[in-house]
This record gives sequence, structure tokens and C-alpha cells, in this order.
Amino acid sequence: MNASHDRRAPDTTELVLAPTGTMVGSQASPTARRVLYAWAAAIAVIVIGATFNRDFATWSSLRVMLVVASFIGFVAAGQMLVVLVGGIDLSIPWVLNGAAIVLTTTSLGQTGRMPLAIALALGLGALIGFTNGMGVAWLGVPAVVMTLGMNGVMQGLTLGLSKGLTCRSCASYAPQPLRELFVAKPFGIPAQLFLWVGVALFITVLLSLTTFGRRVYATGVSQRAAFLSGISVRGVTVALYTLSGVFAAVAGIALVAYGGQPSLGLGDPYLFESIAAVVVGGVSILGGRGHYAGVVAGSLTLVAVITFLQTQRVPEYGRSIIYGLVILVILLTYGRDKSNA
Amino acid sequence: MRDAMGWLRRLLDGPASLGYAVLVATTVVYFAVYTSNLGHLPTSFDFLSILNTTLPLVFVAIGQSLVVITGGIDLSVGGIVACCVAITATTVDGTGVMPFAWLLLVLVLGTLAGAVNGIIIARARVAPILATLATLSIFSGIALWVLPVPGGYISPSVRMVLTNPTIPTGLIWLGLAVVGWLVLRRTRFGMRVYAVGSDEASAIAVGVPAARVKVGVYALSGLCSALAGIFYVSTTTAGDANAGAPFILTSIASVVVGGVSFAGGRGSALGAMAGAVALTLVIDVIFFAGIDPLYQSLFQGLFLVIAVLLGTGAALVARARRGTL
Repeated sequence: MNASHDRRAPDTTELVLAPTGTMVGSQASPTARRVLYAWAAAIAVIVIGATFNRDFATWSSLRVMLVVASFIGFVAAGQMLVVLVGGIDLSIPWVLNGAAIVLTTTSLGQTGRMPLAIALALGLGALIGFTNGMGVAWLGVPAVVMTLGMNGVMQGLTLGLSKGLTCRSCASYAPQPLRELFVAKPFGIPAQLFLWVGVALFITVLLSLTTFGRRVYATGVSQRAAFLSGISVRGVTVALYTLSGVFAAVAGIALVAYGGQPSLGLGDPYLFESIAAVVVGGVSILGGRGHYAGVVAGSLTLVAVITFLQTQRVPEYGRSIIYGLVILVILLTYGRDKSNA
Repeated sequence: MRDAMGWLRRLLDGPASLGYAVLVATTVVYFAVYTSNLGHLPTSFDFLSILNTTLPLVFVAIGQSLVVITGGIDLSVGGIVACCVAITATTVDGTGVMPFAWLLLVLVLGTLAGAVNGIIIARARVAPILATLATLSIFSGIALWVLPVPGGYISPSVRMVLTNPTIPTGLIWLGLAVVGWLVLRRTRFGMRVYAVGSDEASAIAVGVPAARVKVGVYALSGLCSALAGIFYVSTTTAGDANAGAPFILTSIASVVVGGVSFAGGRGSALGAMAGAVALTLVIDVIFFAGIDPLYQSLFQGLFLVIAVLLGTGAALVARARRGTL
């Protein structure tokens, strides 16, 4: 895998320009083109859905889909950051679940304890992400192994410390103001979506307008070249894994605020969905290319496919098969490596 | 004698040594914890139950290690195992030849499913982790279609042959797997697997049909998953369409603990088999040590990370020692 990073080095200038470029059409950079493909896929799914069921593309239906997609969007934001440097974060499910349970058990549903609870939940995400980053960057543990192990550690700790979610404080709900915040609909738009826009802006500014963002893309294209040009590759890697942990915690907080109470296995679907959203969104799994605008479209595509299959009353096995086929078709369309050799 | 020493040294110097070391350490801990808690050594019943519960993971780990040696990863093992569990639990019944004919069909289906992965990865050039993620969803769906609710059956005559509850027939299959690997590694195909894993471009340059090798490797992984599915049903005497999911992460963990390098080209399925047994033993250790089983994944996670760190540390020490000599 490392060898392939170096082999793609000639693309560097193109890639560094890509995030800020807004070129469309034949002159578009590969990244911009992949973002366009991702949006085309999302729109195609919604249009297909609308032809089968006229209510599919109404605002009220789209609104629900966007809210569901935003949860994927949060975890995919973190996943995208680590994928950009050729890594992967498999610890997302139980970091998310752990943060959700920390939020309710420390807040005990009381408004006064809410800031502390949110800080602790985010802090937990940051701590686990930081540990992942240190393991990958400094100890040289492969990302798959480090984050897989961390997922197990978090699962064990969450289950054990909460006694399988039967502890006394485990029955408490998320604080009322937090829940109201997420149920609120200013101007008819769910407040949740404002948070998603905020996350999207944060990621876009971070990656496209800051030096740090340039370092991320440079590291993703070629770690060795980035290192030789004076970039602290290890620092960048640790920072990205930390952010991924924080975004998993954000998703956990949002899910608990939305649903009221955490459950065990809350985060399990988000492991594969985060990876799928990132890839459907046109981010290269080898690192170095991708834009969050594509990931937004990727999250929406996944949710639109699932929602469509549900409205068509496709049984669960059929949903699973078609979901896999759709991802496969998208991968074959624009998720292919240029060359293996 | 000298030959035996050389063989032993090769064994300890090889990449799989991490797997053996971890297995020995886990076994020692298992004996210590078991004896101190129950006041006697593990009985033959304990060994038999460990053998039978560990066999499915051992098979998945063999397939996964082959894939990882080529520099790939197979997430769809969960789906293929689930599929084969579902088909086995709904078809393999009755007496005579029929149940065994069905078993053969399950093995063929598993191999085909794996070959599909291989074709998508090698011919259509989709990254392994993504291709198998998509097919995982497809195979899991098929499993749910075949067996919507947990249940099913298995012919007792099949059970007597595969995982006999009184005599360790599992040892025969374990032995066959070891021999199968030792033979495979020495075939032309086995050599090519390593060649593709260590440097695909060079392998192609010297005429290795890399795409065909990859299709073969993923097909073998599918075959191993099918074997795992059959042995799973044979041990538990029932099927569950969700039975495959845990094998994704545990097979990767076994491969890692077994010293197979994720960069490809290094490692051995024997190490992965040792890793799989060690990983199963850890669960028994936790049980006999009286630790709340809710903490099970905590220890498995720590086990995984620490095993890799030990491997890295050992490699650094070895390299430093070689440097000074």
C-alpha cells in the first residue's frame, strides 16, 4: 500500500489544487469529478424513488432522510479524515455508544449537569481517538488492528461498567434542553441539520483553507514526501484520529438527544455505513483525495436507498442484498483504482 | 537431530512465531487459571469442547490469512459463513449419502461466493475492503432469506463425522487443514500468493498471473468460510443467519495475532490458526477466572493490541541483534 502512495506522487499538484477548485465539466479535477458523481448518485436514487412513490421526494420526506443521513454524516466526517491519510477507524461504533452512555449517566437527565456531561462525552471521544492515533503513528500498529482492538476495549468497558446497561443511572434520559434543541425546527428545518452544516463547514474550512488541511492531503498522497518536506506526519495522523473520535462522540450525543435514551449496539450500523458513505462520496480509500461535499452526498445516497427499499416494503433480506448491490454498482462506476500495477 | 534443530529454529524465527508464542502463553494461563479455580487439571471433555468451538474460527482464519498475505482483506467472510450456516442448517438432514452431497454443494457455493469477490477485486480493480464490504451485505441478505429465524437441524450422521461429541474427530480435520496448508505453500500457487503479496508489480513483471492468483485466494477464503459454516452448525446443531458477523473481526484478530503482516507477503496460515485457538482460549480464561463476561471484548481488544506490540517489539529486538552481529 505504501508503495502505491509513492507511485501516485505526480498527481500532487492537481490534488492540492482540487479542494479549492470549483471547476465543472471536462476540466474538473478527479476530486471535483468524484464529488459530482456522488451527487449524481444521490439525485438518481431520489429520482428513482420519486417515480415509484410520488411522496418520496416531498420536503417532509426529504427532511426525514436528511436527519437520518446527518448521523451518518457525523461519523463519516471522522472516518473521511483518517481515510484521507490512508488510515481507517474501526473503533467508531463503541466510541459512539460509550459517549452516548456517558452523556446520559453523567447528566442524569438534569439540565445543570448537561455541560459537564457533554464535555465528558466529547472528551472520551477525543481520548480514544488520541490513543488510536498514538498507536498508529508512534507505535506503528496497523490502523485496522489498533482501532479494531480499541473498539473491543470500548465495548468491554461500556458493557462492563454499565453492567450491560442495567446500572441505576443507566435508565436516565438525555437532559431536556438538549432534547428540545434537537427536536426544534427553526424555519421548518430540523435543528439537527444546522449542526450538520456546521460540521460540513468546519471540515471544508479545515481541509481547504488551512495549512493543516494541505498537510493532510500531502500526507495522504505520500507519507514519505510529506515527511521529507518537513511535515510532522505523526502529528497530523494523531490529530486526525483524535478528530475522528470526537465526531463519533458527536454522533453519539446527537443520537441520544434525538432518541432520548442510549441502547447497546447503538453504534454498530455506523461502522460500515461510515466507510460506505466516505467511499460513495468519492474519497479514495488509499488516501490523498476526497472532499466532504461528496461524503454528504454519500450519506444521503445510503439513506435514500434504505428509505426507498423500506417504502417499497422490501423485506429485510432483500434490503440487505439490494443495498450491497447498489454500493457495488457505485464502486464499479467510480470507486475503482486506476491500475493495480 | 541437527535437522530437527534447524526445523525448530526455522519455526521460531518465522513470522508465525508470534502466533505460537501467544498460543503457548495463553495455554499456560488457561491451565493455571483452570487448575487454581477448579482444583484439577482440565479434563478431556474440556479439550474436546475447546477443539469443537474453535474449529470454525480456525478455518476462517486460514482463509483470511491467505487473503491478507496477498495484501488484501476479506470482510465478506461474515456473510459467506452466515450463508453456509443457513444452507447447511436447512438442507443437511436424513441419512445415507444425501447429507454429504449437500455438504459438498455448500462447499462449492462458498467457493463460488469467494470467487465472485476475487473477480470484483482482481478484474474490476475495486479495493478489497470495499468490494468485500458490499458483498458482505449481499451474502448476509441471502443468509437471512434462506433462514429467516434461527433454527434448523443437522443430520446426526454428519455430526458424528465432523464434531463427534465423544471422540475428537475434530483433530482429524484440524490435522488435514495443517497438512493442506503445508502442501499448498509449496505448490506453484502457494509461491505465487507470496509473490503477489510482497510486490505485485514485480510479480507481474516475472510472469505471475496476479489477477488469477487473487481470484484463487478469495475463492479459497470462500471455501474456508463454507467449512467454518458447516462446522459451526455441526457444533451448535442449529443455524442462525447472524452467526457469521463475529467471524469478521475475530478472523482479522487471529491473523494479526498469528503474525501475518498487513503489508502482505509475510506470514503463515499456521500462525493464524494458532492465533485463532489462542483467541478462543482467552474467552475460556475469562470465564474460569470469574471475570464478568461483559468484559470479554475488553480483554480480546487488549489481547489484540498487545500481541501486535509484542510482535513489533520482538522484530525490533531481532533486527537490532542482527545489526550488531
